[in-house]
Amino acid sequence: MALPVSIRASVTPLELELIASETLVDIVPLISMEKTAFISGAYGPLRPPVKSRIPLWMATNLKLKKKCHIVPPDWLNIEFLQERLTHETSYPAFSDLPFRFAEIAKVILDVASDDLQNPDKIRSLLKDLREARQAKSREGLQKLDHSELSLPNLCSMEINEIRPFFIQAMSVLTKLVREPTAGP
Amino acid sequence: MVYIPPPHLASASRPSYAEAYNDILVSHRRSPQTSASSVILLVAPDVDALCAAKMLADMLQQDDVMHRIIPVSGIAELERMRDELMSYAELHTLMLINMGAILDLPSVEWFGEFSTKLSVHVVDSTRPQNLSSLFGGGENGDRIIVWDDGRAENMQEERKAWEALAYEPEPDSDEDASDDDSEEDKEGEQESDEELGSSPSGKRRMLDNGGREGKRRKLNDEVSRMSRDQRDAYSMRLEQHYVSGTSYGQSASATIYILATVLERVDNDLLWLAILGLTFQYTTSRVSRTDYDKFHSVYYDEVFRLNPRPDANLNPDNISASSPDDLSVRATEELRFMLFRHWTLYDAMYHSSYVAGKLGIWKDRGRKRLTGLLAKMGFSIPQTQQPYTHMDLDLKHQLRSKLDAIAPEYGLVELAYPSFARCYGYRAPPLSAADAVEAAGALLDVAGGVRMELEVEGSRHGGEWFGGGKMWGGGRSEEDRERKNMMRGVNAVDAKRPAEAEDNDEGKEGPEKNEVQWWVKNFWAAYDALSDITLLREALSLSMSLHRAIIRQGSSIIDKQDIRTMRSHRVVVLTQGPDLALFAHPGVLSRLAMWLVEALRDRLPGTAIAKPGRGGRGKKSLPFVVACLDEQAGTYIVVGVMGALDFGDVRKNEFGLAFLDAKERCNARTRHGSFDTSVLEINQEDLKLFLETLCEVGEGY
Repeated sequence: MALPVSIRASVTPLELELIASETLVDIVPLISMEKTAFISGAYGPLRPPVKSRIPLWMATNLKLKKKCHIVPPDWLNIEFLQERLTHETSYPAFSDLPFRFAEIAKVILDVASDDLQNPDKIRSLLKDLREARQAKSREGLQKLDHSELSLPNLCSMEINEIRPFFIQAMSVLTKLVREPTAGP
Repeated sequence: MVYIPPPHLASASRPSYAEAYNDILVSHRRSPQTSASSVILLVAPDVDALCAAKMLADMLQQDDVMHRIIPVSGIAELERMRDELMSYAELHTLMLINMGAILDLPSVEWFGEFSTKLSVHVVDSTRPQNLSSLFGGGENGDRIIVWDDGRAENMQEERKAWEALAYEPEPDSDEDASDDDSEEDKEGEQESDEELGSSPSGKRRMLDNGGREGKRRKLNDEVSRMSRDQRDAYSMRLEQHYVSGTSYGQSASATIYILATVLERVDNDLLWLAILGLTFQYTTSRVSRTDYDKFHSVYYDEVFRLNPRPDANLNPDNISASSPDDLSVRATEELRFMLFRHWTLYDAMYHSSYVAGKLGIWKDRGRKRLTGLLAKMGFSIPQTQQPYTHMDLDLKHQLRSKLDAIAPEYGLVELAYPSFARCYGYRAPPLSAADAVEAAGALLDVAGGVRMELEVEGSRHGGEWFGGGKMWGGGRSEEDRERKNMMRGVNAVDAKRPAEAEDNDEGKEGPEKNEVQWWVKNFWAAYDALSDITLLREALSLSMSLHRAIIRQGSSIIDKQDIRTMRSHRVVVLTQGPDLALFAHPGVLSRLAMWLVEALRDRLPGTAIAKPGRGGRGKKSLPFVVACLDEQAGTYIVVGVMGALDFGDVRKNEFGLAFLDAKERCNARTRHGSFDTSVLEINQEDLKLFLETLCEVGEGY
C-alpha cells in the first residue's frame, strides 16, 4: 500500500470529505435544469432564482462553473461558531457541532468563500474550535480503558484522528486485562 | 468568409459573437464523434493571444466543452499544422487567435478543402484583413467566420471593389475571364505588392476573351470598355487597402471580453485578462494613446461595477489587499518607468526607453543628469539605490507629485497613464497590469531556449550590479532538470565513455528538439504564470534581465554610432556582442528595435517612406531596420519597425510589403518565421544585397 503506516488503519481526510459531500445544501441556481436522475437520487428541477436543495458535490461542481451560489448552512456563520467556541472554552464537555462540520466547512470555504460573510473570521474561529477540542480529546484519551471510551459530541474528523491510536491501545489493554485472570 | 459585427451593431438577421459562440457549443454537443480534438484553438505567441486563449478556455470549460490549445509560432508552422489537421475526422471548430487575418482562408491552399462541417473562427487584431475572408460567401466561404470589431462596416467601398473583381457582371463571356481574374485576384491578395502588375495583364486578358466571342463581341467590347476604368478604380481601391501597411485593431482579449459581456458571464478574472491584453497593445506601441483611452474607459467602468469600493484611491502605493480573499482589480495610475516597483528607482528610470531618450542615458553625462533629476526631487543617492519596496514611505508618496513638478524641466512630460492593478489577498503584494504584461512577455520570449542570468535580490548592497547572479531555471520542466542531474551523477561516478556518448547524443538532438519546442514550452510557462501569481512574480526578475540586456546592447549601438542612415530608413546590423544568442530571437529583437525608436525619437529627424503608387510622400516617421546574426543557423533575423514621431502615436508598419518587394528583386533566400510580416529570416550571404534593395524600394516604382 502506498499510504503511510499511521493512516492505513483509518480513513484519509480526503475520503471523509468525499463522504461528507453527500450532504444536502441549499443553493441559488443561476441556470435552469430539469429533474435529473443521478446515481444517488434524482435532483432538480433548478429554476432560478428559487432556492433548491442538492448534494454538496453537485453544488461544488456548479459553483466552479459559476452556475450557482451556495447558501451556507445555518451553523456556518460567525455568531453560531463564536457561541460554540465560548462554550468549548468554558465547559469540559464537547459542545454540540454538526457531525461533519469540518469537511463541509472546508469545502464551502474553498469553493464559495464569496458567498460567506466574513470568511477569514470564520476560518480563524474554526481553527480555534479545532484547537480547543483537540486539547480536550487528548485529556479524554487518558480515561481510556479496555472496554469503552466515551467522548460524546466528537466529530468525524476528530474520531478519525484518534482511531488508529485507540484501536491499538484498546487491544493492548484488553490483552492486559485478560492476562491476569489467565494466570496460574 | 463572413465577418460578424460586434454585438452593438448586430440585429436579428446579423448574428454576432454570442450566436457564433453558441453555435460552437451546439455543434459540440450534437456531434456524435466529439472528443478532445473537436474544438481546437490555434494561438499566436503574444501576450494578447495568450490572454484571449485563457479566457476562451475558461469559458469553454465552464460549458463542459472539451478543447485543445495549440501554440503556433508562425506561418510555416501554421501550414504544417493545417496538414496535420486535415487528418482529424472529429474536428468541427477551429479558432485562430491573433493569426490568419491576412491569409486567404477560403482558398484551397488553406481551408478550402476541409469538410463542410468544419467552421473556422478568426479572432485577430492584426489589420489589414484579407478581403476574401471577409466578404466572400458561398458554401465554401460561409465556414470562415471573422470576428470583426466594427471596422468592416466602413469598408463598403472595398467590398464593392472586391466583389466586382471577383464576380464579373456578364455571365457567359467571362466564364474564363472570371476564373482568370479571380485567380489573379487571389494571387494578388497574397502577394499584394504585385497588384499593379496583375491588373494590367488581367485587363488585357479580359479584352482578349471578349474579342474571342464572335456574336457578342460588340456588346462585350462596350461593356468591357465601360468597366475598364471601373476596374482600374476597383483595383486601386483594393491595393490601397493592402498596401497602406500593417496595424492593429481591437485586441483579441477585448473581443472575447465583449463576448463574455453579451453572455453575462464576466467576472474579475476575465476582466483582468482583458486588461492585460489592452496594456500589452499599448506598451508595445501597437495601438495609439487615443485607442488605449477608449478601451480604458470601458474597463474602468467595468472595474467599478465588479469591485465596489467605498473609497476611490488613486495612489498606487496605497493599494493593499483588504482581506486574504481579496482578489479585486483596482484602477491606478501607472508611471512609465519599467517595472519600477520591483527595482530600484534609479534602475527603473534608467531602463525605461522614454527617459533614456530624453536624458541620453547611454552617455555618462546622461546618467549624471538622471541622478541630478532625482536629487532635485529630493531623493538622495542611497535612497534611489534601494529596492523600491525598501524606500522611505514618505518618499514614495511624494514621488508622483515631485515628478509632475520637476520632470518637465528635463523634457519628461506625460509620465503617467491610467491603468489597473490587482490584489492577491495576503499571498503576494498587488501587481500592476504593466508589470504583469512584462513578466508574461518575458516568459514568452525567453523562458527557455536561452540562458539568462538573474540578479539575486539583496546581493547588490547599493551601487551597480555587475553580474554574478543565479541562472534562470524556470523554463525547463522538472524531468529535464532531473535528467541533467542524473547525467551529471553518472558522469562523476564511473563509466565516463558511455555517459559521454549519451551526453553527446542528447546534445546533438537537444538543439534540434529544443529548436522546435522552445516556444511551445515558453507558451505553456507563460500560460501557467497567468493563473499562478508566484510564477508570475518570479518571471519579473527574468524580465529585468531581459531589459538589462536590451539596454546594454542599445547603448553600445548608439555609443558606437552603429546606425547607418539610408535614404528612407535607418539600419543597424548586429554581428557580435555578449548577447548575440539572445537577440537572435525575433521577439527580443523587436523589443530592441522599439527601444531604439523611443530612445532616438527626439534626436533624429523623421523621414517619410514614399508610398509606391501614390505620388506624394506619406506621413513622417522613424523607420528602423535591425538585423541580428544567428550564428547557429547561419542566418540574419531582420526586424523592421515604424516609429511615430509623436509619443503615444503609432504608424502603420509598411515594412512587410517593403521586405517582400526587396526579396523579390534580389532573389534573397528568406523565410518568414512569425506572423508578423515585418520579421524576416534571411541567409547570411544575402543580407547586404537585401539591405541595398530595401533602400531602392522606398523610391517608388
